[in-house]
Amino acid sequence: MLPNPEPIRENVIVYTDPERCLGCHSCELACAVAHGEGLGLLDSVARRLPLHARNRVVVGDGVTMPIQCRQCEDAPCTFACPTGACRQAGGQVRIFEQACIGCKLCAMVCPFGAITVRSEQAFDQNARTHRGVAKKCDLCADWRVANGKAVTACVEACPTGATRLVDLKVYRQALAEARARELAQSHRHMRLPV
Amino acid sequence: MTNHIPSSDPAVKAMLPRAKECGVETVWDRYQAQQPQCGFGSLGLCCRNCMKGPCRIDPFGEGPQYGICGADRDTIVARQLIRMMAGGGAAHSEHGRHIALTLLHMAEGKAPDYRVRDEAKLSAVAAKLGISTKDRPVEEVARDVALKTLEDFQSQDYGTGANWLTATLTPRRLKRLKDAGLLAHNIDATITGVMARTNVGCDADPTNLVLGGIRAAIADYDGMTLATELSDILFGTPKPIVTAANLGVIKPTAVNIAVGGHNPLLSDIVCDVAAEMQEAAMAAGAKDGINIVGICCTGNEVMMRHGIPLATNYLSQEMAVLTGALDAMVVDMQCIMPSMPRVAECFHTQFITTLDENRIPGALHVSFDEKHADEAARKIVEIAIAAFGRRDPKGVRIPDIKNTAVVGFSAEAIVGALSLVNPDDTLKPLIDNVINGNIQGVCLFAGCNNPQSTQDESFQVIAKKLAAANVLLLATGCGAACFAKHGLMTGEATEQFAGPGLKAVLTAIGKAAGLGGPLPLVLHMGSCVDNSRAVAVAVALANKLGVDISDLPVVASAPEAMSEKAVAIGTWSVALGLPTHLGTIPPVMGSQTVTKLITEDVKDVLGGYFLVDPNPETAAEKLLAAIKDRRAGLGL
Repeated sequence: MLPNPEPIRENVIVYTDPERCLGCHSCELACAVAHGEGLGLLDSVARRLPLHARNRVVVGDGVTMPIQCRQCEDAPCTFACPTGACRQAGGQVRIFEQACIGCKLCAMVCPFGAITVRSEQAFDQNARTHRGVAKKCDLCADWRVANGKAVTACVEACPTGATRLVDLKVYRQALAEARARELAQSHRHMRLPV
Repeated sequence: MTNHIPSSDPAVKAMLPRAKECGVETVWDRYQAQQPQCGFGSLGLCCRNCMKGPCRIDPFGEGPQYGICGADRDTIVARQLIRMMAGGGAAHSEHGRHIALTLLHMAEGKAPDYRVRDEAKLSAVAAKLGISTKDRPVEEVARDVALKTLEDFQSQDYGTGANWLTATLTPRRLKRLKDAGLLAHNIDATITGVMARTNVGCDADPTNLVLGGIRAAIADYDGMTLATELSDILFGTPKPIVTAANLGVIKPTAVNIAVGGHNPLLSDIVCDVAAEMQEAAMAAGAKDGINIVGICCTGNEVMMRHGIPLATNYLSQEMAVLTGALDAMVVDMQCIMPSMPRVAECFHTQFITTLDENRIPGALHVSFDEKHADEAARKIVEIAIAAFGRRDPKGVRIPDIKNTAVVGFSAEAIVGALSLVNPDDTLKPLIDNVINGNIQGVCLFAGCNNPQSTQDESFQVIAKKLAAANVLLLATGCGAACFAKHGLMTGEATEQFAGPGLKAVLTAIGKAAGLGGPLPLVLHMGSCVDNSRAVAVAVALANKLGVDISDLPVVASAPEAMSEKAVAIGTWSVALGLPTHLGTIPPVMGSQTVTKLITEDVKDVLGGYFLVDPNPETAAEKLLAAIKDRRAGLGL
């Protein structure tokens, strides 16, 4: 007998309510700092660290919101990666940076433009390599562990509460329960003919 | 909001691909790069007035509702807004002070390159200020006028209105302002007052703060008025003159010098000196000698007085350099993009700053002061002629786009034209036509360009709608430049766009003035500082009718407002009683209290109010409704 396969749970995603996003870019700054060297914003700027936000606040058709990796369940980037550096792991699409060669294929196939190849080193024109690797939202995995945080840096930084971490299972459950409550009200006045 | 059509100006459309080709970043590229812009700032809910901050108020109500000091959204929005008013007032008033000091130094024989070019204006101004002219030498009168003007920067008598306010507003308006505590006594003190009361821990009452801002805006009106009037004494009062506007005025065969910024003090002297140095330019190979062109309001100043053609307005100043045919651009202050030296660097163009307190990295600085004006101007023209020799003729791309513009309609010129219709009672022809409905009302277009909207578009949409509805159109600043560029300052435009009543009146006056056709559809009244000229006309009408400015069917519109100066002008326009349209949403929407104060509540106190609408079509309808409302008030 085959063992019961373990059900795959959808990855948690960062979601922003465009109605509440004011385009202040606070999430970008928080993201960059959280992926920096453990320094705050002011120290990072003072030391001219090449910090890089993995999200980007954009505007389109009058709607403003940050765009970042949606942790796709059948992610094109994982297929495109020639070195296997990009793959599902630990509840997200993860880039194992030590295996990444910075070829930008993942950046090209990402439908959301959420991947950027960046170096964390200062530019050196004599260097053989830029040491650039693919960067994208990692749901602040390391930062959350190091700082004991339940949510990502962008969620924490959002001044209007527009940005949240969404667990699709919880989200769906909440939707279903809300609709069920509404239907229950209607059904109270309804008798189906036999 | 992103904006996909940068400009409605055909010359700009022709030049934008050139910018791309040259790898030059323009204001529209930078605008796109700034999107989305922070909503807290746009709503006025970000406070940086102290170092406990920055503080932000959550407009949706769940996050913080108070800054760290305890200021709520209303206090924060009001403080930001009135600091903008003070900033605008400071800019205009420094301009005015510079002119007043030049007049004083001239009168004392310390500024030899200046003289009184308009003695009639000097006499008129002296009479307004209560200074005797009888049997007195010009210099002595000029000195008294300068000193009386400088009192507006010095008076410590809080309860007495500044000299230029008392001299130029209607008695009823003066009383209304005084009763509301808004009659500014001293420009410097009033602006300082705004900075003081918005300091941490001072005035927190939004209404009281806004009133303080309005007092500063009234001080701004004072500073602008004295700047305009004293400039006329030194450089001449504008009279109608035919010239041209848009980038096509730049000549491939001349040494092209663009004058930009706001002040006539240097640019006027540059015009004089250039006239003397034509031969040097020709000797350097420029067949057509020296060609001065204007950009922004310095351009408007020399256009109004000398018919110097206007190259372009604020938003497209980079385009003028991109023609590759500007040999020098010389600037004074205000609305000069700090990017200009970076654009000039790609060509042979010498970008020259002149005021020691307005320097731009990358620019060549030729220090200017009014005691050595001629010397500085000469040096600048020499630099331009030398640069001409380095021009790459293959890199010249001047779009063949320009329009005729009839400009120079100072208040005196308008009254002068009317006096040709009725020499005994000059204002009567205008008043009669307002009463009989041939002219429904008057709209003053003012203010800037702003990349939030398509450059020059809203100005034209609103103007054409109002003209068709028989509204007399006046314009200043970058608004006036827009109309000049687009050919709306011609008699032909009147034929094409004016309603029958307006057309008949403009034709009658034009013919009486010997133009052989109608006056232009839009009357160019000058630079943005010259908005005071429009007030002079309104005040003359109000006094003649025995009413206040707020009773007249006169409205104002700044469809593309941008600068702090525009905030100050818009505010005094409201305070003088005019319904005032803004096509740019000011950073006040975070506070319903402040928004209501300036769009509704202020109406009861002062008669004017802000009318905010970025849509030019509906804005035009609202302006027409406001005019109808005023006419009804007069029983018309």
